[in-house]
Amino acid sequence: MEKLLEIRGLTTEFVTSEGAAKAVDGVGFDIGAGETVGLVGESGCGKSVTALSIMRLVQYPPGRITAGSVMMDGRDLMKLPEKQMRRVRGNDISIVFQEPLTSLNPVFTCGEQIRETIALHQKMGRRESRLKAVEMLRLVRIPDPEKRYDNYPHQMSGGMRQRVMIAMALSCQPRLLIADEPSTALDVSVQAQIIELLLDLKERMGMSVLLITHDLAVVAQMADRVVVMYAGAVVEEAPIDSLFSDPMHPYTEGLMASIPKLGERLERLPVIPGNVPDPLRLPSGCRFSDRCTKRIPKCLIEEPPLFSPAAGRLSRCWLREGIGR
Amino acid sequence: MDGALQEPCRSCWSGGWARFRKNRTGMAGAVIVTALYLMAVFAPALTPYDPISQGSLPEMRHHAPGGDHPLGTDKFGRDVFARVLYGSRISLAISFLSVTISVIVGALAGAAAGYAGGWVDSVIMRFVDALMAIPRLFLLLTCIALFSNSIPLVIILLGATSWMATARLVRGQILSLRRQDFVAAAESLGAGGRRIIFRHLIPNTLTVMIISATLRIGGIILTEASLSFLGLGVPQPVPSWGRMVFEGREALLGAWWVSTFPGLAIIITVIGYNLLGDGLKESFDPVHFG
Repeated sequence: MEKLLEIRGLTTEFVTSEGAAKAVDGVGFDIGAGETVGLVGESGCGKSVTALSIMRLVQYPPGRITAGSVMMDGRDLMKLPEKQMRRVRGNDISIVFQEPLTSLNPVFTCGEQIRETIALHQKMGRRESRLKAVEMLRLVRIPDPEKRYDNYPHQMSGGMRQRVMIAMALSCQPRLLIADEPSTALDVSVQAQIIELLLDLKERMGMSVLLITHDLAVVAQMADRVVVMYAGAVVEEAPIDSLFSDPMHPYTEGLMASIPKLGERLERLPVIPGNVPDPLRLPSGCRFSDRCTKRIPKCLIEEPPLFSPAAGRLSRCWLREGIGR
Repeated sequence: MDGALQEPCRSCWSGGWARFRKNRTGMAGAVIVTALYLMAVFAPALTPYDPISQGSLPEMRHHAPGGDHPLGTDKFGRDVFARVLYGSRISLAISFLSVTISVIVGALAGAAAGYAGGWVDSVIMRFVDALMAIPRLFLLLTCIALFSNSIPLVIILLGATSWMATARLVRGQILSLRRQDFVAAAESLGAGGRRIIFRHLIPNTLTVMIISATLRIGGIILTEASLSFLGLGVPQPVPSWGRMVFEGREALLGAWWVSTFPGLAIIITVIGYNLLGDGLKESFDPVHFG
């Protein structure tokens, strides 16, 4: 598969009074053209910061990208001048955020906000860009799009607003859509509709999707490949099927075990004990060592590199050392 | 999908107007201010007298209110009612224009400071602090003494010395607004700094700016009146309320009406604007109606 985006050694730090916290610590993975990559991990593991770093939208101060490269079309996005980067945003890469309720400007109509984005990147007259915006509203299946164009955000429900956000993000046919927990803030029935819509649009527009979520069910539905993050680093990478059938990192195993299964009766769901470590106080050795059930002495001494125990698979676990090479 | 969808498409301000119409003091203020503007516009239709040309002296001097001159005449035999009417033009125009200047300057300075942050913010806000530390009336007096007094100068000076509060207000608003998701969303779609400020941040501060401007107009009218009272505001012989109070003071015991009516006009105007401002605040400012 042709590669669209190559992320290597991406590191983003946040300056705190106690020192620089690495929220993203040497993250690297590829996104193929037309591929959907799921980026999963629990809250605070650095998924969203990774997305913001790819777009170079990390607020400085306190955040700062300190190392790494993101290659797209032979250019390193991390080194582009801000002006060119602005052209990449919305045009080549778009992002849909988690909170549809606050992601739209309350004082302009929804249609106008889509039209603005189109006018920003494409040379189009007012009427033409308006038509295009209506078309986008239709594409995201908003009923009666001509009328809806003049609605203010507060006149729409959460699901509708997320559709508007998706329309906005897709209005310039980006090649990569970053969806940062696109359905988390919505209720369950609407979640399914949004996921289905994203799947459909991805097929139709042939774009790549980086899907950020903590919901493994959503990943299973949408992603081709999964990257699992823990405490700022990639701990496992695998094609979707083999990840679920054969997780190769104890953290991923823990995540799978904590999903409730239909038809199974349990007093209590298994959980991974403990919390995500403070990025300023990572345990020595493996960053998962303090919560890991399969810990061996080496884990406390040395941080494991990413091993490749099978084709197309990566695992940051000493137990996979030397396997399959 | 939910109830909000059936709502007819109206602007997001419609809720505020509905609240405002039920706000009695706010409506009273609106009526007073509207009436004042109507009086200013239709002054020639409301009085047969000219506010500037003098009556035949001395028999026209200091006529008591009543008869042909409902509010009496001043020492030059001019009709006080006509002068109060025409004086409203000056007071309203000066206050409106200088508040407009102060809002524009303040909004730009505050938005720049709040959006840029860092040293830009520090420089602008320390400059604001410095300006606020200068006694305003003395600054105005010095400038007018240097450049002689004309109406445009008075407008510019009043505007230039009153934008600091707006700058602080807008900066605070922008600081909180720029952390909002829709700003991040706009940035993620490739919007630049200028676009974010003018399309996304400032429109969201408009309500607060209009409210504070309305509340500030009263103060500006008072300052203009003080300047004119000191003989440094609007030049002679243009009728101005402050000037009229000043001129009437020497005959206050004998001809009380010469000072009293323009003084009342000032009070009514300031009260009208303040009631209107409070009403707008209670209806549109989320902190107050929530």
